[in-house]
Amino acid sequence: MSETLSASPWLNASEKPYIQIENVTKKFGDFTAIDSLNLDIYKNEFFSLLGPSGCGKTTLLRMLAGFEKITDGRILLDGEDISEIPPHLRPINMMFQSYALFPHMTVEKNIAFGLKQDNLPPNKISQRVEEMLELVELTDFAKRKPNQLSGGQSQRVALARSLAKQPKLLLLDEPLGALDKRLREQTQFELMDIQEKLEVTFVIVTHDQEEAMTVSSRIGVMDSGNLIQVATPTEIYEAPVNKDVADFIGDVNLLRGIYKGQNEVGTQLHSDDANSIVFATQEVGASTGDEMWFAIRPEKLEISKKKPTNQHNILKGRIEDIAYGGSFSTYHVRLDNGRILKAIRANRVRTEEHHLTWEDEVYLHWEPHSVVVLLS
Amino acid sequence: MISNSRKTQSLLKSIFNGRRAVIAIPYLWLLMFFMLPFIFVLKISLAEPIMAIPPYTALFEWGNSLLPSIRASLESYLFLFSDSLYIKAYLSSLKIAIISTILTLIIGYSIAYSVAKAPSRWRGILLMLVILPFWTSFLIRVYAWIGILKTEGLLNLALISIGIIDKPLIIMNTDLAVYIGIVYSYLPFMILPLYANLEKMDMSLLEAAADLGCRPFKTFWTVTIPLSLPGILAGCFLVFIPVMGEFVIPDLLGGSETLMIGKVLWTEFFYNRDWPVASAVAIILLALLVVPIMLYQKSQEKAIS
Repeated sequence: MSETLSASPWLNASEKPYIQIENVTKKFGDFTAIDSLNLDIYKNEFFSLLGPSGCGKTTLLRMLAGFEKITDGRILLDGEDISEIPPHLRPINMMFQSYALFPHMTVEKNIAFGLKQDNLPPNKISQRVEEMLELVELTDFAKRKPNQLSGGQSQRVALARSLAKQPKLLLLDEPLGALDKRLREQTQFELMDIQEKLEVTFVIVTHDQEEAMTVSSRIGVMDSGNLIQVATPTEIYEAPVNKDVADFIGDVNLLRGIYKGQNEVGTQLHSDDANSIVFATQEVGASTGDEMWFAIRPEKLEISKKKPTNQHNILKGRIEDIAYGGSFSTYHVRLDNGRILKAIRANRVRTEEHHLTWEDEVYLHWEPHSVVVLLS
Repeated sequence: MISNSRKTQSLLKSIFNGRRAVIAIPYLWLLMFFMLPFIFVLKISLAEPIMAIPPYTALFEWGNSLLPSIRASLESYLFLFSDSLYIKAYLSSLKIAIISTILTLIIGYSIAYSVAKAPSRWRGILLMLVILPFWTSFLIRVYAWIGILKTEGLLNLALISIGIIDKPLIIMNTDLAVYIGIVYSYLPFMILPLYANLEKMDMSLLEAAADLGCRPFKTFWTVTIPLSLPGILAGCFLVFIPVMGEFVIPDLLGGSETLMIGKVLWTEFFYNRDWPVASAVAIILLALLVVPIMLYQKSQEKAIS
């Protein structure tokens, strides 16, 4: 993963994108599912399309696979226009959300299915099937039928089947959606390992933001048929482009503010929500009186019973709720004006006396560089 | 006394509790309307024909001894094998049943497939159209085919008037007319189980096949057909089994040389008044059909599990 990140081909202007989605529009009757979308994906990327259900991410994936015809625009793979190529001739394979394993074939035959279509010699096919079974650690299950497999095993057969033909591009539609949490986390790392090992470009559709953050080189956040932000997981989390992205990815305290100008500390905003002046390091091009939003992640709010010595960005409140999460706790702090802010603190000390409890009066404090100012 | 009546009560309860009663209904039904008539037919087939009412000898004769003497003869069965007419009729029925089942399967599969693939708002209407002929009597529908197929019937008039033929086709009273009648009449029995199967087929399997490089035609043979096998089997048996014993269609549409076991049975029963031979014909037909019926049962069990 770190290799892919350090390479960051999207930052290099001379790098040629592997998949070019150019002005692609998809309409179902009057409904526009994808609205003139542009996106470049680079070779060996693990790219996630993330968004709420109905945002068009699955439609985009199905257009890449060839199951949906493009209404307007075109898609290029490795420089070649594939918009008009039927799905069975595209060098692209897909792992289906339902896995779509053929119930009348054994695991082995399922994996061999795609290879047989290429009329490969039987010994080549069985060799490749063996390799794939080893890759997903299912050698002992070769003769089983899909209905004799667990969810996790089915998922791995589906993965092996879609990788068997060494596709130029692998599409994964909610690949881990049907697995339980523990298995999902484990499989995320397996997917990343396999992707690195085989050097296949992955495009994954998911509605699970944690999953997208964990596995992706870059994430495309979608809403109502448009890409809102395309960036690395860190950028998406720490520098969302608007309050929708900030709100969709992770937990956030979103407050409204009025622009007051800049001083030596940074941008000054007056906030009714916070009932004070807020300082942010980030500079914004705005004029006095403009309305904007600022976002502070809960883990960047420091919570303490003692008043901090800093001069700025201090709010007083009362603990209303505590969500104990084991390694950390989330505190819901009600300010004097009634607004509730969330703060997360790692539980680093075991003893009771250090703990904050309900109805405690506390101070919230944050560094100016922790604030993200959002114009929309 | 009290404990005794309680015992009886609980015994009655255990016999007539709801669950048993529910299970008993189909068993009683089958016993009354299948098993008893079957035993009667079997009994008649072992008797000998006589000029009387009823026209066969009694199986048990109550003499002076305590037990009745049994007068069973296998003569009717032996007779069936001595006359080649019966064997020919069985084979001919088998041939007609097999060919018409295959024809019905080909036509029924394409109809069921198109209905299952149609937009969901159309499916109900299309399925309705398949079932609609059942609203008219079966006999009337077969009679209607006479009007269509006869020498100066609708089909010939239409073909002559648009100039495809200048002499009327002789279809009526041939095997072809029998095939047309059978395929038409039994089509819904093929379409319905096939539709039920194809309709719930996971379309993502077809997409997966295409995604893995399989052409649409090959996908049909390697994915769709194998997965619809339970529906194919159910439809084929539902057509094959009744067609084997079909009487009305060959009688009305077929010619004198159309030989089917149903017709032979009718002749023996009503024309020759040889009830034992007619019963023997029926018993052998049943014996022949037990194999496909059992295969059908098995395929249904498999489909359920």
